Amino acid sequence: MATRAFQRLPTAPAGRILALRLVAIVLSLFIIAGVLALSGHSPLMLSELILRSTIGSRFGLEDLALFMCPLLLTGAAVYVCGMIGLWNIGAEGQFYAGAIAATGVALGLHGPAAVVLPLMTVGGILGGMAWIAVPTLARAHAGVNEIITTLLLNFIAALLTYYLTTGPWRDRISGAQVSTQRIPVSIPEMWGIVHWGFPVAILMVIGLALVLSRTRWGYEIRMSGANPEAAHYAGMPVRLRIISVMLLSGGLAGLAGMFEVAGTVHRLQGGMANNFGYLGIVVAVLARGSCLNVIPAALFMALILDSGIVMQTQQLSASVVLAITGLILFMIAIGDELAHYRPAARSVPGGKAS
Amino acid sequence: MIALLTGMLATAVLAGGVLALAALGEVLAERAGVTNLGVEGLMALGAVTAVMTVSSIHSPWAGLLAAILVGAAGGMVFAFGAVVMRANQVLCGLATTFMGLGLSTAMGHDYAGQPVGTTFGHVSVPLLSSLPVIGPAVFGQNILIIPIYVLMPLAVHFIMFRTRHGLNIRAVGENPAAADAAGIAVMPVRLWYVTLGGAMAGMAGGYLTLAYVPVWSEGMVAGRGWIALALVIFAGYRPVIVTLSALLFGLVTALSFVGQAHNWPIDPAFLNMLPYLGTMAFIIVPVVVWHRMRRVMAAPAALGQPYYREIR
Repeated sequence: MATRAFQRLPTAPAGRILALRLVAIVLSLFIIAGVLALSGHSPLMLSELILRSTIGSRFGLEDLALFMCPLLLTGAAVYVCGMIGLWNIGAEGQFYAGAIAATGVALGLHGPAAVVLPLMTVGGILGGMAWIAVPTLARAHAGVNEIITTLLLNFIAALLTYYLTTGPWRDRISGAQVSTQRIPVSIPEMWGIVHWGFPVAILMVIGLALVLSRTRWGYEIRMSGANPEAAHYAGMPVRLRIISVMLLSGGLAGLAGMFEVAGTVHRLQGGMANNFGYLGIVVAVLARGSCLNVIPAALFMALILDSGIVMQTQQLSASVVLAITGLILFMIAIGDELAHYRPAARSVPGGKAS
Repeated sequence: MIALLTGMLATAVLAGGVLALAALGEVLAERAGVTNLGVEGLMALGAVTAVMTVSSIHSPWAGLLAAILVGAAGGMVFAFGAVVMRANQVLCGLATTFMGLGLSTAMGHDYAGQPVGTTFGHVSVPLLSSLPVIGPAVFGQNILIIPIYVLMPLAVHFIMFRTRHGLNIRAVGENPAAADAAGIAVMPVRLWYVTLGGAMAGMAGGYLTLAYVPVWSEGMVAGRGWIALALVIFAGYRPVIVTLSALLFGLVTALSFVGQAHNWPIDPAFLNMLPYLGTMAFIIVPVVVWHRMRRVMAAPAALGQPYYREIR
């Protein structure tokens, strides 16, 4: 029997994770460059163009912040569910639900922005919570797999958005397709087209990190995620914690939808979720280990989205971004697993025979 | 009335076939202990590959074969991450779906919206196809219906529950450490059954464009892969029941078609929600109503867990 050259550690050191992720990302980029070269594009020219028009220009930076804003919130939404060991794959649907609720408030109420905007915020959060309510109760009380229930609701939310924007709320003024009219209020802008939702989203991530690490609630969440049975025997109300975490998650994703409606798009529009919900999963995975990591992870995803726009100008389909995201996620998943391994100690003669 | 029933059943059989194939493939993977959340993406790849193939080789069989091969290749990529490298199965599955959806749209860009010229035409089984209601729906459709609803599920059922090899597969899904101790090669079993499941997801995609909706468009898989995953849970990981529930599910889809054809006073958007709402009800209601069913319909014990021989 051969001896094992590598030994698996129960937890991976942070430094090794970071190193292997960099390898994973670089490897993904090489694969992408190879595919682009094969399909007749010049990867070098393209990457130069991407750098110049994302972080190399003011417009690029503004776009980056606008992409980051929803990603921070959907990423935090998926992250917080992950803390208790659950996967919220439905941030996309909760995003739509929040956007729908916020638009409903804006279209129904006529008043000063100072009154309407807070009500839209509450509406957006409640919309997201309502959208995750059924999966939450099914998970907490009947143990129904939350991955599938949250995901199916994405399709329903998209259809509901389509119905509203082509039916009762359709734009009767400009006749735009699959869109409501422009809503009368908007979140004030702070830098170019970047609205105040961006710093608020960053503050919310920081606040969430504090709550998760410093409060009893956060401790119970982490305990329930690490070992539900032990948490239960220690007297923690695991079921209630599951409900509160999932509702919080839905609320965060709903808030992302509200920010997008009131700050960026200014109307409810079919397809406006732009995969932000799904990309939130990637953000949360990248952030593994610390909630504050959601911020750099969202920046990274925003860079990819921003690059995607440049690629579209070069006759590359928008869906390429999704494929690239998938590839990077795949490589990172493998990298994270490999980070658990270290060369077996030499001091043990021959190592553990298998 | 009879005509309406016949039409509904025919649509149900046709629509359910996509789900039956994908769900049966997932049963194979999950019985071996691997959740493949990449089904949706593999179906999209299969669907677009079938369209691209038949546009140059004018044979639906060639298209179906290409879809199966692409599905198998995609399933192998997923299995490389989730089984060989033992990375997180949820992540690898989602990544596979992202890659599949993105690649299929990019690949099918030039084919989008064009009708597929070569599809599986109707075949009438003599005598049987003249049975009332069932005849046209089951024996007057494309040639794949009988394999999908009868041959494949029975074959999987037989292998899974009546052969030594099937016992090995289930052992790997229930308790890989024990299986390993008994001399079953855990990783190869998982690798091959995930690949086979991927091939069937690809075939489901090929069936979608070659027999059901003969035109490729972005997003046409529309969550059918996820519905198939839910059906596997609903059917308690049983090959025959999963096929029957796919048929039941086809009926839900048919209902929304009938509604639109007869101008029911419900907006089409809401009728289109029926399959998703139906799926939610499918997996939530049974566990709430029949608590005892939970043990009978439980997932394989090691589902979703990578197996490490050295820390068993």
